[in-house]
Amino acid sequence: MSRLITRLYPRAWRERYGTELSDLIDETGMSGRVAFDVARGASQEWTSQARLALAGGGSMVIGPAWRHPTAWAVVGAVVLLPTVLFIALSALAISNPFGDQFTSQRYLDLALLLAPALAALLAALPLVRVSYTPADGGPVATLSVRLRAVNMVVVITGLGITCLLVGHVLFESVLRLGA
Amino acid sequence: MTDIQTTTDPGLLLLISLASGAKHGHAMLLDVERFAGVRLGPGTLYGALSRLETTGQVEALPAEGRRRPYRLTGAGKIALEQRLAGLSRAVSTGIARVSA
Repeated sequence: MSRLITRLYPRAWRERYGTELSDLIDETGMSGRVAFDVARGASQEWTSQARLALAGGGSMVIGPAWRHPTAWAVVGAVVLLPTVLFIALSALAISNPFGDQFTSQRYLDLALLLAPALAALLAALPLVRVSYTPADGGPVATLSVRLRAVNMVVVITGLGITCLLVGHVLFESVLRLGA
Repeated sequence: MTDIQTTTDPGLLLLISLASGAKHGHAMLLDVERFAGVRLGPGTLYGALSRLETTGQVEALPAEGRRRPYRLTGAGKIALEQRLAGLSRAVSTGIARVSA
């Protein structure tokens, strides 16, 4: 857990202090307060790195998930799974795949509605990386985009289900208004 | 401008801690808690430590096992003296005004 949370920091900082920080967290013990403190420290390091890059003092790369695309695709798929199961089971059980369950439990509905979009986002995250490098002719910002089959499957599925669900909700709303 | 910070400024607390000798992260954390009554979080401690190292006020020593001790540099000692002098003036002024 301590190693995982240190991944919030910029890579250069992590390579220098990550192991020491992780060991200190192990020694002091993980808690909500410690997690918040580390997250705040990480945000300060990112801000500091961005300020340095904007001032021409160094380059900055933002691509937090770039090195582990498959892991992020798997996380996205896990987030997506409950919604897929819900849709599949609902479709098998009743003629209206969303039925009354979809309108009776608001928080569950919302979670199932947002999960595919979140899954698409998580799987898409490793496909994009932004770098900002100071140069003699002015700073150069580079956007790198790559396509990976595993991630794209989750992204397309997530976005497809999101569109389907949003369309369904809108359709239901229109029907309710008309009734 | 005089650098007057509160005693909860983690950078100042770490400089004071290292003034008594080289320490690794956990030893600094315990020392600061002992003399200032402030429990620094790991992120706060290493954030302050990295800034002090970047500005040349502390330096890392060779690692002892998994632990890496840090010590005050000459520049760090001067910075600490200046900051403590600034704090001392503020404290003296405050006490004098409260007592008046």
